Amino acid sequence: MRHRNRMLAAGVFLAPALAMIAVFTVIPFVQGILLSFQSWDGVSPDTPFVGLDNFRWVMDDAEFWGSMKNAVVFGAVGLVVANAVSMVMALAVHHARRGSAFFRTVYYLPGVFSTVVVGVMFSWFLDPKIGIVNQALKTLGLDGLTHNWLGDPKTAVIAVAAVFVWYHWGFGFILFLAGRQDVPGELYEAASLDGARSWAQFRYVTWPGMSHVTGIVSVLTLLSGLQIFGTVQVLTNGGPAGHTSVPTLHIYQQAFQFNEYGRAAAMSVIFGACLVALACVQLWVSRRLGGSTNSRTEKGR
Amino acid sequence: MNTLLDPAPKPKTAPTPTRQGGPRGRRKRLRGPRVALYALLIAGALEALVPILWVLSGSLQSAEQLYKGTDPIPDPFEWGNFATAWNEGGFSQYLPNSLLYTGAAVLGILVIASLAGYALARIEFPGRGAVVGFILVIMIIPMPASFIAQYKLLIELGLANTRIGYILVLIAGGLPISILIMRGFFASQPKELEEAAAIDGASLLGTFWRIILPLAKPGLVAVAVIQAMGVWNEYLMGLVLFNDSSLMPVQRGLTNFVSAESPQQQILLAASIIAVLPIVIFYAIAQRHIISGLSAGALK
Repeated sequence: MRHRNRMLAAGVFLAPALAMIAVFTVIPFVQGILLSFQSWDGVSPDTPFVGLDNFRWVMDDAEFWGSMKNAVVFGAVGLVVANAVSMVMALAVHHARRGSAFFRTVYYLPGVFSTVVVGVMFSWFLDPKIGIVNQALKTLGLDGLTHNWLGDPKTAVIAVAAVFVWYHWGFGFILFLAGRQDVPGELYEAASLDGARSWAQFRYVTWPGMSHVTGIVSVLTLLSGLQIFGTVQVLTNGGPAGHTSVPTLHIYQQAFQFNEYGRAAAMSVIFGACLVALACVQLWVSRRLGGSTNSRTEKGR
Repeated sequence: MNTLLDPAPKPKTAPTPTRQGGPRGRRKRLRGPRVALYALLIAGALEALVPILWVLSGSLQSAEQLYKGTDPIPDPFEWGNFATAWNEGGFSQYLPNSLLYTGAAVLGILVIASLAGYALARIEFPGRGAVVGFILVIMIIPMPASFIAQYKLLIELGLANTRIGYILVLIAGGLPISILIMRGFFASQPKELEEAAAIDGASLLGTFWRIILPLAKPGLVAVAVIQAMGVWNEYLMGLVLFNDSSLMPVQRGLTNFVSAESPQQQILLAASIIAVLPIVIFYAIAQRHIISGLSAGALK
């Protein structure tokens, strides 16, 4: 009896959530895989199966693979640079006695801006004629260093990566700060009694104590870097000649500009599979490195 | 700006031993490192703020001054840029649209996620672990991997280019993480009240509505602020789903303005500020909750 009631209650409570997720997430996921074997122009009701044609086409699409390479660059830069900055700043704020609330608020502020607005801002800063970057170089008499930052494929990718770091590091910072505050103080007291200096304390107390946070922040930053879209669309729209394209943008253009929805779906499948695999690998690695965090939490009880 | 030490509510993760003097524990003996520390902190603040202030300044400059490109202070202050951006950019449509989408999506997420989160935290039924695992897996599916198919589905449902279609997609996208946050929150609450209500013979839904939800306010606030920020800034689905500009949310409206009107730079900067101002104000008001919410969401 009781058991039946519990099942019923659980069903009632979970039904809306599971229905929404099933219809708007699971069905499209399956449909997307199906669509990658079909041809669709976005309008017509018939979507003939074309076997592996879409995938064959994508294999030869240099611009798609170039966009995948850019995604890796943005993901890697985010992972290394943004995380290093976030970690250092989180530890600095943790040790600051005054103004920590102010610094916390300000550091996360760029993260509140939408990717589109960030794109508009930095398009202006990096504009070859009226942008502050080139104007400042001219004012300093360094005319030789002025550059069409977003027009040159070499610098455009670096510029976009820098913009990504600018608006994203505050996110990791918040999580690192929370993680640092969860490392028990007595570990530091014990370490300093053992004569550990600050570097040794970081190496043997802070770093291991925050490893699970580092793992999570790494996954999230990497995935955001790989999925960057709005900023790139506004900054360069993938140009010059596709050199700064990213997978989401390339998929979007394939579908909504060239009406090749089947090809776009095939790209989504390849790109999505890579993202999911990466997320799993990252989580697995960080779990292996993180060891058990339970021992810490048990102590606090 | 005297001391800004506020005891920010810490995310309800594992209880940590309380230490003397709040989260910043041990005394530092050294002076030199203090100076270096604050130099670093201030450099970080400048790095975050200067670009924002520069845009603010640019949005208030005349075209001639802006195209010189190096003046930090607007002279004269061209407040008219904002009026021009507001009128030509169609913000009187986009802004209410975004407010509606954000309000409706957040409300939907709160109701659905708190119900599901409660069931997963409190009702023991076979298959509970599987449902949690399923939600975790769903969370890994990235939006760029499925937005083409979502668009196709909405066309088939007759919901493409409709307000309700966009809201439903937003709710579905925000659910997994919100369910997990709410589940963690309910799991950390004491059980006594519910048990007392159950003994009094109140129905489960009645107990939930009257007793449990009011107590879950901190969890609900954390979910609401994170999702509100996500929805306000959402761009990809807004780009894909709408071709009718009277329905577009503000981020989509902004790029629409750029491509349709090619506005002058200072007008475009003013338009960008209009597009972020509501969420920045919201952030200023709710920042403590945002920070605890982010930690609760990611570190659980």
